Amino acid sequence: MATLATTPSTSLPTVAAVAALFGLFVWPGGGPLLSVFSLGLFSDNADVLLDTVRYYDLTNVQGTARGWEREERILLCVPLRDAEPHLNMMFSHLRNFTYPHHLIDLAFLVSDSKDRTLDVLVERLEDLQADEDPKQPYGEIQIIEKDFGQKVNQDVESRHGFAAQASRRKLMAQARNWLLSAALRPYHSWVYWRDVDVETAPFTILEDLMRHNKDVIVPNVWRPLPDWLGGEQPYDLNSWQESETALALADTLDEDAVIVEGYAEYATWRPHLAYLRDPYGDPDMEMDIDGVGGVSILAKARVFRSGVHFPAFSFEKHAETEGFGKMAKRMQYSVVGLPHYTIWHLYEPSVDDIKHMEEMEEERKQKEKEEKEKEEREKKAKDAFGSTSEQWEKDKEQMKDLETQEGKKSTGPEGSKMSNDNSKDSAEKVKAKSAESKNKGKMADA
Amino acid sequence: MARPLGPVRMRRTNYVTLFIGAVLCLFIIYFLSQSGSSTGSHSSAHKHRPARPAPKSTVQHIRRDVQRFNLNQVTITGDPVANREKILILTPMARFYQDYWDNLMKLNYPHELITLGFILPKNKEGNAATSALQAAITKAQKGPAKERFRRVIIERQDFEPPLSSQDESERHKLQNQKERRASMSRARNSLLFTTLGPDTSWVLWLDADIVETPRTLIQDLASHDKPVVVPNCFQRYTGDDGKDAERAYDFNSWQDSVTAQEMAAKMGNDDLLLEGYAELPTYRTLMAYMEMEDPTDTRAEVPLDGVGGTALMVRAEVHRDGAMFPPFPFYHLIETEGFAKMAKRLGYQSTGLPNYKVRVSREQSQSSVLNLNRH
Repeated sequence: MATLATTPSTSLPTVAAVAALFGLFVWPGGGPLLSVFSLGLFSDNADVLLDTVRYYDLTNVQGTARGWEREERILLCVPLRDAEPHLNMMFSHLRNFTYPHHLIDLAFLVSDSKDRTLDVLVERLEDLQADEDPKQPYGEIQIIEKDFGQKVNQDVESRHGFAAQASRRKLMAQARNWLLSAALRPYHSWVYWRDVDVETAPFTILEDLMRHNKDVIVPNVWRPLPDWLGGEQPYDLNSWQESETALALADTLDEDAVIVEGYAEYATWRPHLAYLRDPYGDPDMEMDIDGVGGVSILAKARVFRSGVHFPAFSFEKHAETEGFGKMAKRMQYSVVGLPHYTIWHLYEPSVDDIKHMEEMEEERKQKEKEEKEKEEREKKAKDAFGSTSEQWEKDKEQMKDLETQEGKKSTGPEGSKMSNDNSKDSAEKVKAKSAESKNKGKMADA
Repeated sequence: MARPLGPVRMRRTNYVTLFIGAVLCLFIIYFLSQSGSSTGSHSSAHKHRPARPAPKSTVQHIRRDVQRFNLNQVTITGDPVANREKILILTPMARFYQDYWDNLMKLNYPHELITLGFILPKNKEGNAATSALQAAITKAQKGPAKERFRRVIIERQDFEPPLSSQDESERHKLQNQKERRASMSRARNSLLFTTLGPDTSWVLWLDADIVETPRTLIQDLASHDKPVVVPNCFQRYTGDDGKDAERAYDFNSWQDSVTAQEMAAKMGNDDLLLEGYAELPTYRTLMAYMEMEDPTDTRAEVPLDGVGGTALMVRAEVHRDGAMFPPFPFYHLIETEGFAKMAKRLGYQSTGLPNYKVRVSREQSQSSVLNLNRH
C-alpha cells in the first residue's frame, strides 16, 4: 500500500479513497480472501474480542432452505442406551451423509448402558475423525455420559408394553433434554435428532428435509418385515394429526396421564403419518401434524432456543416427542410430516415373532430330519435287497434292443426314432412332430 | 479562458488515472492469486497431501478431537466453592447499569468458576447497552487474573422486543404484559439453552438492574441446597420526607391461593393470571409482604408456587430436565412464574428466602411502583 500512497499523482484523493476501499475489503478479513467470497456472512458470526469472550448474533442462525450453501451448522443428536449392536450401522450412515460433514456437530448421550456402547462409540468416532478422506471428519463431537437409573428394560417387549410407556417416555424425554441443553450452542442453525436403529435412509436426508424450510419436519418411518409377516409395516406411530376424539379423551384423563399412540387402550382415531404412505406418492408432499415421532426429526435451532423441548411430564396429556410436537404447535411453529418420504427402521423381532420363528425353525428341522430318515431308510433297503435299479437298467436295455429289432423289421426311420426316445416328454415331442408332418404322422400311426 | 473545460481536463488526468487503475488491477490480481495459492497450505493438518483446489468453504477442515463429559460427576452441593462447582450467571439486558456490573465484580465466588451470559435486544437501546457491556467486559478480562471470569458470552436476540419503550409505567400495563413477558421468556430460554453446556452445576439468573446483593450471594443461595431458590427483591428510594427508605419490588414470588385457583379454573386456555394488578385480585400470599417471626434470620425459607426472576438460583439439573420459561400461558402462568410451575410438574419445589434481600436500581420511577401496588 505504501507504494500506492507515494505514487505522484494529481488525483491523490481518488487514490486514497480507492486504496481505503481496497484495504477495507481485503485486509480486515485476517485470512486471505475470507471476506471476499463469504461476503462477510461467516466472519461476523463469532467476533473474537478476547480469548474468553464470545459474541453471537442469533439473527444469523435462523436456518434457511439451503443451509449447506450458507454454511449453516447442524447439531446432530443421538441418544444411546445399550446400542452396541447398532453402532456399525449408524456409522455407515454417518459416513454417507451428503451434507458437508464439517458443518455437522455430533452429540451423543450414553445412558444406563450395560454393554460396550461407550467404548465402541469412542473408537469409531476417533477412526472417523482420523479418516483419510478429508470430507469425512465431522465438526465438534461431544459424548455425554449420564445415568438416569433406568428401571425399564430395553428389550422390544418391555419397551413397547402399554403400562411401561408413560414412565419410559418421560425418561426418554429427560435424556433428550439433557443431551440438547448440554450440546446446543449459539452457532447452531439446525438440530437433527436421529435414532441409532435406522436401517435405511437416503444419504441426502438432511438436505431433503431442510429444503422444506419448516420449523419441525419428520419423514415417514416404516420397517421391513420377514415375508411371513407381510414384508413391511408402519413403524413410527407418534407422528399424527390431532383429532376431536383424542382431544375429548384428553379432557377426561387426569393431569399426569400420558396418551400414547398405537395401543388399543387409547382409541384416538387420529390420522397417522405412517398409514398415509403411498410408495409411489410425491415424496415432497407435506402434511401438518401435531405429534411427532423421534426417529428422525429436523428442527430449526430457534425452536429449541425459544424453549420447546421434550416434556418429561404430561404436557397437554403427552410426553417426549409427541409432547414436543404439541409444544412447538403451542408456540406457533410449523410442524410437518412427509407421508411419502420414507426411511426404514431396523426390524427387531418381538417375543411373539421370535416364538413364531422358533416354531418355524423347529418345523424346518423336523422336516429335514424326516427327509434324512427317509433317505436312510432307502439306503438301508438298498443294502438289504441289493440294487434293484441295476436289474431294471439291464431289463430296460434288453427291451430297447428288442424294440429296435422289431422297429427295423416293421416300419421306417420314423418309428425307430420314436421308440428310441427315452425322455419323459417323448410323447409330446411326437405329438408336435406329427402335427408338423401330418402325412408322416399318419404313416407312423398306421 | 473561453475554451471548454470538460474534454481537456479529461485528457490531462486520463493517463494518471489509467496508470493508477493498472497498478490497482495488478495489486488485486496479486492478492487474489496469492490468497488462492495459500489456501492449500491453510488446510491445516494434512500438509503432506498434494495441494487441493481451494475449497469454496471459508471454514477449514479442522480435525477435532472427540470430547467426553461425564455428567454423573458434575456435583451440585451446598458447598459449591469446596467442590469447585461451575456456575452460569445469566442476565437478559436491555440497559447497562454500571452499578450492576460493579456489584457483579464484587461477588466473591471464585471468578474462574463463573461463566457470564448476556442477551440483548437488537435495537438502538440494545446496541448502546452492548457497547457499554463490551467495554466493561474487556476491562475485566484484561484486568487482574483473579477478577477474570472463566468465560463471557454475549448474544443478540433474533426477535424484536414487543415494546420499544423501557419506560416502566408503559411496561407494566396489563395488556402489554403478556407480550412483554413472552418475549422475555424467549430471551431467557435462548440464552439458557445455548450456554448451559455440559459442566455447569448452578444457574443464577440476575436481572440487569440488580445493583446490590451480599458479596456471598452465590454461596448463600447454594447453601440452602434447594432446586430453586429466590431471595426477596427490594428497591431503595428517597421518601417524601427526604429520608431513605425501601419498598418491595418483585411480586412474582408467591404462594398460591384458593381464589387464584378458582379464577384460573374459569379462564380460557390462553388467559394469564398475573400478579400485581387491581383487575386481577388473586389474594395470593406474596413473599414481598411476608412477615417472618424473626426478621433477622436471613436463612428463613418458605415454599413458593410462583417465582420472580430478579435473582433466581437454579440447580442446573432442573433446567436440564426441561424446566424453562414458558413464553405461552402454562397453567395461566408465564415466564418465571410459569417456570416455577413447570419445575413443580417435574418434581422440583421452589423455595423463597423472605429475609434475604437483593436490591434493584433506584432509577426505576416512582409511578411504576404505585401501579404495582394493587390492594
